[in-house]
Order: sequence, then C-alpha cells, then structure tokens
Amino acid sequence: MKIESREIDGAVVVALAGEVDLQHSPTIRKHLMELMFERRPVIVDLAAVVYIDSSGIASLVEAYQQARKNGTRFVLAAVSAPAMRVLQLARLDKVFALADTVEAGLKA
Amino acid sequence: MRIEELPHALPTNLADDLDLIAEMTADFARSLDIEETLRIGITHITSRMDAEAASIFLMEPETGDLVCRACSGPTDVTGLRLVKGQGIVWRAVNRNATELVRDTGNDPDFAHQVDGKTGFITRSVLCAPMSVRDERLGAIELFNKIGGGSFDSADRRVLQALAASAALALINARQAAAMAEQQVMRRELALAADIQRAMLPPERPAEFPIHGINLAARGVSGDFFDVVELPGGKLAFAIADVSGKGMNAALLMAKTASLFRCLAKRLDGPAAVLSAIDAELAETSSAGMFVTMIAGILDPAAGTVVLANAGHEPPLLCCGARQERIDDGMPPLGIVPELFAQGCPESIIDLNGGTLYLFTDGLTEAGNSHGMLGADGVARRLMPHRVRPAPDRLRALVSQIVDDGMTLKDDLTMVVIEDARQTPALYRQFQARPASLAAIRAAVAQALEHLACPPAVIPDVVLAVDEACQNIIRHAYGGGEGDLIVQVRGDAACLDIQLIDFAAPVDPARVCPRDLDDIRPGGLGTHFMRMVMDDVEFLAPPPGAGNLLRMIKRMGGL
Repeated sequence: MKIESREIDGAVVVALAGEVDLQHSPTIRKHLMELMFERRPVIVDLAAVVYIDSSGIASLVEAYQQARKNGTRFVLAAVSAPAMRVLQLARLDKVFALADTVEAGLKA
Repeated sequence: MRIEELPHALPTNLADDLDLIAEMTADFARSLDIEETLRIGITHITSRMDAEAASIFLMEPETGDLVCRACSGPTDVTGLRLVKGQGIVWRAVNRNATELVRDTGNDPDFAHQVDGKTGFITRSVLCAPMSVRDERLGAIELFNKIGGGSFDSADRRVLQALAASAALALINARQAAAMAEQQVMRRELALAADIQRAMLPPERPAEFPIHGINLAARGVSGDFFDVVELPGGKLAFAIADVSGKGMNAALLMAKTASLFRCLAKRLDGPAAVLSAIDAELAETSSAGMFVTMIAGILDPAAGTVVLANAGHEPPLLCCGARQERIDDGMPPLGIVPELFAQGCPESIIDLNGGTLYLFTDGLTEAGNSHGMLGADGVARRLMPHRVRPAPDRLRALVSQIVDDGMTLKDDLTMVVIEDARQTPALYRQFQARPASLAAIRAAVAQALEHLACPPAVIPDVVLAVDEACQNIIRHAYGGGEGDLIVQVRGDAACLDIQLIDFAAPVDPARVCPRDLDDIRPGGLGTHFMRMVMDDVEFLAPPPGAGNLLRMIKRMGGL
C-alpha cells in the first residue's frame, strides 16, 4: 500500500495505491482525519487501488462524515473497478461524492 | 642519634631477582606454546640462579608420575619419568612446598639411580612445586649451586615466585588450548548439522500429502526422513533411526539416506528397498551399529500406502477417533542379512480418509518425571491438534511436548501421511494478525483459480474470507495472539470455505450485519460476507478448536 498527498488549487489530493486492508487502513484513517482537522478539501484518488476491505471503506466513511460536519469537500476520484465493486456491495456508491477523474473532482 | 642513610637503589642481587621474575612472567604470559617457553625459560633460570643444571617436571594426570619436559645442564634428562612417590621432586609436589636440600647425601628421598644413569653428581637441590589452587602441575628443580656452595633461602623465594608464575601460565595455556579445540569441534558440528538439514526434504505446501519434522537432541541427528517423487504421481517415503547418537550415528544416517534416495527410484517396492539397504549396511557398516527404518510408497490417487518395517516403532493409523498400530515388521537393518534375503513382508494400508503417523523413539521416549510419552501418549497428544494442517500439527505437537517440560533424550523425527483425496484445495494455518491478510488473500485466490472458480466471483469471495479473518483477528482474539486455519474445498459449482480459530467461543448473535442505512464506519465486514456468500454460519468447532465459521458459495449454472 502506498499513500501520497499533493496540493492542487488549495485542495489536497490523496492518492492511495495497492491493497488497502486492516494492516494499512489505520495509517490512511489517521492521514485523512488530520486533513479533516485542518478543514482541507480532499480528493481521494483511488485509481491504483487493487483491493479495499471494510476497514479501508470505514476510514473513507469516517472522513466523509467529518467533511460533512465541516462543510468541506470530500470526493472519491477515479475509483478503480475493485474499489467500486466494494463500494457497491456496501451501497456507498450512492453516498460518496464520486468523480471520474482527479481533475473532475477538483472542479466539483 | 645516628640517622642511617636510605639506600638509593635496591641491592644488586634483589634487583636481578626481580628482573628475572618480571622477565619470565612476561614470557609466560605471552606464550601460547607454554612448553616451548618452559624450555627457553629453564636455560635462563639456570644461568641467572647460578645452578649447574635444572629440570621442569610436569605431572601426568592419568598416572600421577612426574615426567621431565625440559632441562638444561650437562646431561639431558628430558623424558625422565619419576613414578609416583619417587624423588625430592615428588615430595615437593606432594607437600606442595618448596624443598631446599643442602646435602643430598642426607636425604632419604633422593633418587640416586638418576645420577647413576647420567653420571651427574647431585650435591644440593632446590625444588619448587607448580600448583594452582589444588591442582598440582609439576615442579621446577635446580641442581648444585655453581662454585660449590648451597642454594639459600633467597634462592628459594625467587624460585617459588617463578614456579607460581609458570604454573599460572601453564593453566592458562591449557585452558586456551582446550577452548580452541572446543571451538573447532563446535564449528565442525554446526557444519555437519547444516549439511544434515540440507539432506532433509524441503518443506512443501500444507496440502502436500506427506510432511515431516526432525529435531536433533544434539547438534547432529541420527534420524532422517525423506520423500521422493516417483513417476506416475506416487511418493516414496522413509523414516529411520540410526543406533547411537552423535557423529557416528550422523554419518551412518547420511549413508542410509543416500542409499534410500538412490534405491527408491530404481527398485520396485519398499521391501526390495529395505532388503538392498540391509545388504549394503551389513557388508560395510561398523560392528554394533544398526538402523531401524520404515520405507513405503503412497499412491495419492488411491489413498493407499504400501510399507515395510525394519525394527522401527510401529506406525499409527488414525481414522476419526479410531487408532490402529501397524505392527508387522522385520528386525533392524545391518544385523542379519540372511533374514532380508529370504524376503521382507509388506503391509498394505487403506488410508480411507485417515492419517498415518510414523515416528522415531525420540518421540515415544520423550518424557518427564511422570514417565515416557509412549505410542498412546503420542496419539492422545495429537488429538487437540488434529484440526491443524499437517506441518502445523507436527510443530504444535513438538512444541507442546517441550512446553510440558518433557526432555528429548534422543533425536525426534515424525512423518505424517494423509489421504490426498480428502485434502482441500487450501488448508493452511496463519497467525491471526493484520500482516497475514495479504498472504491469506493470495492463497485463497490461488485455490479458487485452481478450483476453476469463475474469475468474476474470485475477488468477492476473497473479500468475504478477508472480512471473516478480520473478525477473528479483531473480535475473537481481540488483538491477542493466535492461529487461524483457512480451508477451501469445492468445485466449479459450489465452494465450501471454513475458518477455524482457537479463541474463546464467539456468540453468533453478536456477529450480525449492520443496517446499511445507518452510515457509519465499521460493521461492514459481516455484511460483505453475507452479500457475497450464500450461507454463513458458525458450526460446532472440531476438538481443540475455538470457533468454526463455514461459508458456502453456490455458482449454479456457471
């Protein structure tokens, strides 16, 4: 699992890559929650995620809920097919703001 | 009042004595070859102490005799032996006190016969014993003060100091030599143990039908086991125990193992293999050494084993709660070659879903103050581990024996042979922790591919197994340590996945999917499992296990 952040137009793009499972989701959760604490708009780039489990989804849900409270933007962008499958299983594909690309997410 | 002037320097002779002691002590401390140093030292001592001759005697530990190891003077007495009780030198050693004999003519212990042999005329003797604590090492002996006088008490003190320092140097050198020898031995033993381990078959995946474990009571082992793949998918196997322990046993073990490897591929059946090894060992091995051995062939497709037993512990066939000892057999190999030449019986065993255990007496004879384990004890101790995959089962049994304070008196080797027809596509034990999950997913995906599971279904089933494992890690063990077993069976139509842990039983009512309209982190895992799989249920766990979760996926029509 890899996690990389970069700033574009005042938003933070967090790119996750590889397998997001119980071993790594605490790191992702901590990183996203710090950004939420700073009230930063966040685009999570899921293009290179080959696997995500319920603990990874839970980290995204927690950040999403905090963003809603903050009134800040939280978008899942370029969601890979495996990640989309799990979002659908959790019926969360209707809950998260989704964007086809990171660029689209920045504009959303 | 007269004030005496303090001397500016030590008296010359005292300074010389101190120089000699310092010089010799430094030489002794530096030297690794102490006897060589003693030879050089004795010449030095002789001239500095104005003696006509000198000898160093060392005590032979086996006999108590004193043997001259270095000397100086007109006659060479190196190698001269004074038997226990003989001579002034022996008296000095025995009393552990320096002997000053001003006139040997008046001393009843003086060994006149030595002078008789050498022609040297001994008038006076100064002899200081060399000892460290209670260990008597020998003595330094000086003969005749040059100029005709006798040795005096000042000479006595100097020689005493020299002898003490020489004794320490001797002890040091002997200990250093012993340590160096031990180190060489240890290195050689470690190397031999490495070579032996390399002769054992490699660890195979848990689903392979034959596994073994070997623990050496010492560095090297007299036991071995092996598995050789034969043409047509059959597997030849063997377990053997060489009489005795240590290096001899290890070498005979290496020979037997090589013979087995070579013959198993060429000869038809275990009886022929044992007979050939017996003939070879009887012809060439050293007297009194023998080998107990079982050789066999597993036909994985038929679930049958053919084996022959030469004096080895009877194998144990476990099928459900039933256990049976396979008692047929011959005497050990390498003793009576004629017997094997007349034929060796073979047992044919139908595994019938059961498991065959072979072991050396290192296992049955492992014991504590309550006695030895015995074959029944082995069977009893296997019960709680039966649910584990074979390699983990062997490790669990052995570590339990060690944990129970049982000592291994002998090398311990155990081989397990399973009915491959019953073996699941995946049957592996993992440590229940997040870092295992990637390996679990990879193993499950591989097993599903092997079962020709539709590719679209694989990621979902992998997710369901991962979530179930997470529940075990997070809830059943609650962060504590433990094992979990993943078992995957099935075909293209139906998958049967079972997860077994060894934690306290979980209340199934508490493991329920959450309401998806309630959007909150966590609680999704069980929902995923139920979404993906057709049945998810806790079943009564097998003996020794904590929980058994079974998940079924039907792929009707696919």
